[in-house]
Amino acid sequence: MDRHACITTLAGGSGVAMSVQEIQRLVREAGAAGTPLRISGRAHWMDAGRPVHAGRIATLATHTGVADYVPGDLTITVRSGTTLRELARITAKEGQYLPLDPHGSEDGTIGATVATGSFGPLAHGFGGIRDLILGAEFVTGVGSVVRGGGRVVKNVAGFDLVRMITGSWGTLGIVTEVTLRLYSLPPNPATIAVRVPDERRLGERIAAILAAPAVPHAVELVDSATARHCGLAPRTAILIHLGGNTASVAAQLQAFASLGAVEVPTSIWSRFRIADDGAAAVIRLSVLPARIAELWNNTRNVLAATEGAMTQASAGLGIVRCILPAPAAASAELLSRLISSTERCTVIPERLPAAAWTSLAPTFVSDRLSLGIKRAFDPSGILNPGILGAMA
Amino acid sequence: MTESALAAQLGSIVGDRFVLRRQTDLLVYNSDGLPGYRRMPRLAVFPGDRDEAVAVVRALAADGTPFVPRGAGTGLSGGALADDVVLLGMHRLKRVISIDRENQRAVVEPGVVNLALNRTVAPLGLIYAPDPSSEAACTIGGNVAENAGGPHCLKYGVTLNHILAITAILPDGEIVQLGNAEGERRGYDLLGAFIGSEGCFGVALDITVKLTPKPAAVRTMLADFISVDEAARVTSAIIASGIVPAALEFMDGATIRVVEASVYAAGYPADAEAILLIELDGLVAGVDADRDTVRRICEEGGARTVRVAQNDAERLRLWQGRKKAFGAMGRLAPHLVVQDAVIPRTRLAEILARIRVIAEANRVEVCNVFHAGDGNLHPNIPYNADDPDESGRVHTAMGQIMRACVDAGGSITGEHGVGLDKLGYIDLIFSPDSLAAMCSLREVFDPERRANPGKVVPIHSCKEWIGTPASRRSQAVAASR
Repeated sequence: MDRHACITTLAGGSGVAMSVQEIQRLVREAGAAGTPLRISGRAHWMDAGRPVHAGRIATLATHTGVADYVPGDLTITVRSGTTLRELARITAKEGQYLPLDPHGSEDGTIGATVATGSFGPLAHGFGGIRDLILGAEFVTGVGSVVRGGGRVVKNVAGFDLVRMITGSWGTLGIVTEVTLRLYSLPPNPATIAVRVPDERRLGERIAAILAAPAVPHAVELVDSATARHCGLAPRTAILIHLGGNTASVAAQLQAFASLGAVEVPTSIWSRFRIADDGAAAVIRLSVLPARIAELWNNTRNVLAATEGAMTQASAGLGIVRCILPAPAAASAELLSRLISSTERCTVIPERLPAAAWTSLAPTFVSDRLSLGIKRAFDPSGILNPGILGAMA
Repeated sequence: MTESALAAQLGSIVGDRFVLRRQTDLLVYNSDGLPGYRRMPRLAVFPGDRDEAVAVVRALAADGTPFVPRGAGTGLSGGALADDVVLLGMHRLKRVISIDRENQRAVVEPGVVNLALNRTVAPLGLIYAPDPSSEAACTIGGNVAENAGGPHCLKYGVTLNHILAITAILPDGEIVQLGNAEGERRGYDLLGAFIGSEGCFGVALDITVKLTPKPAAVRTMLADFISVDEAARVTSAIIASGIVPAALEFMDGATIRVVEASVYAAGYPADAEAILLIELDGLVAGVDADRDTVRRICEEGGARTVRVAQNDAERLRLWQGRKKAFGAMGRLAPHLVVQDAVIPRTRLAEILARIRVIAEANRVEVCNVFHAGDGNLHPNIPYNADDPDESGRVHTAMGQIMRACVDAGGSITGEHGVGLDKLGYIDLIFSPDSLAAMCSLREVFDPERRANPGKVVPIHSCKEWIGTPASRRSQAVAASR
């Protein structure tokens, strides 16, 4: 099934918008009837993860709005259907933001972001959603409404249901509300591009950037196709986003000047985030950070002749992200070469043609603990069945 | 297995001298950093390396014996107490297995002391960021179990944010890899679930920690106030300004005076009613701009003086007073209760005023020394546990303070853990369904509930538990007594 077929399946279900109590009731009914549920925010990222065959959709699209926001605390509690765009708008009015910029449309929801553990370039400076989420409410597969964490910035009370639900792809519960840690918007953010004149010396270039007297918020290596997509000159470059106070940004710009950095519009990041729009396959490969150049070169070699492919890397995190158009993604041979190009490399497909999920991607959840957790939270297996692979 | 047979078996694994059975030997293990709670272990066993630790856990599993893992015993929640069960001390596993400077990480055994790790990596220009006040004694394994914090967690995050992978042995003896030391984590966040599980999910055998470059510039400031209220409001104002200090610590007059009277005297103004210890770090250019902003906020908020440490010696002295404050309180009374509630940072002034009223009403003295930037309060009450009347008043005051913090939207513990101490408060913040979910998560890791029995989530919260045979139930009740 390709992504379009997947969405068609969903459109064929009965989409309903709900309150927490209604979600609870729906889950209980579905459990009793053995009807699998597909959990959806605004249906923007439905092509991520393995295809799900579900009889009904639990949509959180209208479960929106702020439950609690005290700007002085730099925390916000929002219902899960709130879009990232709306969250950014509300917090920007107070000079604040959630420093998280997952790939994909800003019209995706915070609930989906939490469920999928999504992140983007800012993970370099701020970590992922796992590091920014303080509390969560969710409805488990038996229809219990449970909460983990809280609304304060530091909390070790009880076992960690928040980390459990984050990145669980809706298979343990339907996220209904989250509390997030916010930061102050930097007054004069800046983005610079550093050229990579000699790709054979890429490793040294990255090391020099990471060792510079700077605390970048993002360090993304992009290939020429991605650079072109972002409206930059089509050549390999390292994009660096800088924040902090005005004096700090000025000092950091100066520190990078010796590497030949040029300032580029900060708006390139919103283009960058949607580079994978319409792609047929998106695969993340990760290694120890110091091996990033090796991983980059290996993947670039595999994709050298692939028209329309894009490659990006979160250089400081050791993650390469490959974006493939439909014709290339259909080649099992190419995908296979890509994921086996580098030793001791962790492969995480975000999006694949259906056939490739079966042949290439291992099941994420297969160990005894994970299976036990799945059984504990969703004993009848009705939540997003199959999205992390077949479970025993 | 009889106790002597078990002791003999464990002795054959670790050597007889590392198995303690005599009451006099076990006495030092009958409390943790919170001496108000005392529980006597059935016996204590101290493996000397990983193989021995694995063999001990497997022997306990084969015998169905409950046990409590323990690091240095510096915890402040009664979490490492073994009540007539086996105490498994991990502090002899103290090897730093490897340091990877390039990738900024290290692999350590659980018994490595926090400060020892920091001293080991300091020559490489790296730090291990979480810095509990007990850093000179507490172990990384214990830090993982408690998801420990510390003053600098305001900027750098808690233990959870600094652990990349753990090899753990589950209570049934299975060895599992949690997290991913070489790339992105995949699947459920088992690592996140394990960190902060207070020894209930298993025992860490090795831990891959993230190291952080030492900041280029550090500015440590001391602002003093003649009003607690003003210091609290200044704290809220600094946080609201958007600056994220590396640390923002608060000490009230009672604490200042006891520290200044002790060997840890740090040169705090003894007539102040509150001080803020504020540390900023980062790039030289940025840090000085933030220092000026913070100084202005302090002065506008009523600070009498704002002093910036001029050198490392002065900086360390200012920190010593803060980090040893709990110890200094030993001058006031033989016992000390320490609370760990967290409140929203905009509510500091109001809750501190409420704590004063509660203290007066119960005729107890509260010393406040805490991580103000996080809203993580530590109201401490020195008292004499042998005086039943005073103990009763202290207990009442602590309960009232906890409720005031929860009513303000807070949590019952920010970094010390629930352990035994907050077991009675956990249903103030979590519903029965949430607690039942936590119980089921624990059962995945430890279906027999043999690891640290009776801690974190009260047994009555575990719905499934009610359904188990009465014999098993009474065993569990006995274990949690």
